[in-house]
Amino acid sequence: MKVRKLNLPKTIGVWTRPDAPRVIDSGNIFEYMNGAGELYLAYRFKHLEVYEYKADDETSILVELYYMETSDDAFGLLSLDWGGERVSFSDSPAKTSNQSLTSSTRALYGAGLLRVWSDNLYCRVMAFRETPASKQAVLTLGKTIAANRKSPPEPELLKILPIDIGMDWKLRNDRIGYFRSHLVLNSLYYLSHQNILNLDLSTEAVAAPYDSMDGKDRTRVQFLFVRYADSRQAQQALDHFHKTYLPEQKKNFGTSSMTESQSYFKIEDGWLGYKVYGPCVALVFECPDENSARMIIEQIQFNLLRTGG
Amino acid sequence: MPNKRRLITRRDFIRGTIGATLGTSMFGVRWAVGSEKSAPSSLVTVVRDKDVMNAGLDVDFKVLQKILDQSIVQLTGRKNSKEAWSKIITPDDTVGLVSTGHLNPTHDELVYAVKIALMDIGVPKNRIKMAQGSSRKVKRCTALISLPALKAHWLTGIGTVLKNYIMYSGSPSAYHDQNSAKLGEIWHLPHVKGKTKLILVDALYPLCDKGPQADPRYKWPYSGLIAGTDPVAVETVCLRIIEEKRRALRGEPWPLSPPPICVEAADKVYGLGTSRMEKIKIAHFGWKQDLLL
Repeated sequence: MKVRKLNLPKTIGVWTRPDAPRVIDSGNIFEYMNGAGELYLAYRFKHLEVYEYKADDETSILVELYYMETSDDAFGLLSLDWGGERVSFSDSPAKTSNQSLTSSTRALYGAGLLRVWSDNLYCRVMAFRETPASKQAVLTLGKTIAANRKSPPEPELLKILPIDIGMDWKLRNDRIGYFRSHLVLNSLYYLSHQNILNLDLSTEAVAAPYDSMDGKDRTRVQFLFVRYADSRQAQQALDHFHKTYLPEQKKNFGTSSMTESQSYFKIEDGWLGYKVYGPCVALVFECPDENSARMIIEQIQFNLLRTGG
Repeated sequence: MPNKRRLITRRDFIRGTIGATLGTSMFGVRWAVGSEKSAPSSLVTVVRDKDVMNAGLDVDFKVLQKILDQSIVQLTGRKNSKEAWSKIITPDDTVGLVSTGHLNPTHDELVYAVKIALMDIGVPKNRIKMAQGSSRKVKRCTALISLPALKAHWLTGIGTVLKNYIMYSGSPSAYHDQNSAKLGEIWHLPHVKGKTKLILVDALYPLCDKGPQADPRYKWPYSGLIAGTDPVAVETVCLRIIEEKRRALRGEPWPLSPPPICVEAADKVYGLGTSRMEKIKIAHFGWKQDLLL
């Protein structure tokens, strides 16, 4: 496959970049960014190109281009934080796809930092000091980076998320996270420091909260959906999760045919529900009652059937 | 199986049994609770001045020196800066300054201000070392001043005081995941133990989200220094500030994730100090707005 080389401008405003980027791969990513490298290796990372634009009387602008295996991986990196000002690089008004849960967001800007998802590329463009001029330069660089690149849709897996569940539960689409690693899961919703759901680069997962409002009072549940390589791995992962997270629920555990009633448990922070659907596992946490847990899991089943998953 | 290692889960935090689980998980470590003979003071000072940085975030060195002096005087209870520094450091010491270079680096101006204060009490310039990075550097020091910047961390929850010595372990990757609870053990290594005379946290411009790379939206001018001799108490105060800032930003609880298990472990497993807010005496001076404590 021919990869189009990005042609960043040599100068932008008062800033000038070196001729060649610094190239980082999985072998030296920790030298470049210490433990932060774990984040990119938690997705399917190919390599990173770094340019530093410098100016005599201004602080630098750093451009980091993370080349990922797939568009989904690049989306995942953007999905870790939906905060900031939404930016469109198109000359025409941004279109919001009816199919998109994330408002077709491709770029977000805040306080000098621009984050962009563009096909299999995730990039960070950061002005170390935000000024009107540096903001303009950062946004222009973002537009150049995204120009003429494909705009694949968000990951298929997100289709599993209903916008509403019943009359009460509303998806917090500003908290949707897509990932493949327990390290990233823990940064979104902590379960355990260990990998109790057997996540790895062959898996994909989406997490999102659902809120229910009663006047000013809000109840929040956390939903998690994981797709494994096959049904056997999904069942093994669920078994591992159960043994670790619900160790007191030992009776009847290990039978291959868990009954429906065994999938819902009252624990310290509310009701937990889970269900395995072929290669996929759905889990919901912190439900106020068993009915809510059951309704959410059943809605997921409905969505799976609807989307042909 | 008495030595079987227990996994920490979300449920341990909700039950409030994290300390017990950590204790079981690390059963058998030789420096378990109480190995420190004398408990350090749990006084923590928070000194702030809104003029320590201008709108462009440039540090006013004179204001910084002023809040540094105030921090050390209040912490030691001495009359002036010179007496205060002399209480914790002697001219015969080889002093290692342990600043942070990554994610949210310690301001150079703070390091320089501390150097000047040390030279002012007679420590020769050539015996003030920049000691971050390796065991070799810390071995030649008789006293350490820890100078981390206040920040959250995506693997350990908080990455300020306890994590500042991670390179002295010789194996930083051994402190990932659940093993981040063991960061306190580094403070007991023979070449580190007992050398830390002061923890001085650069809270001029902290970072309240975990990263892993700095996002300027989550930095803010707290404009202060946080000081103490109990590393766990200082970390606990830092943690409270970060948590309160996160809550203020989102208007709802926004807990650090993963939770910073190293803090409670440093108290309950490694006996390095107290993580109980009610046992920490916070002495605050200066600018009061958005104190977050």
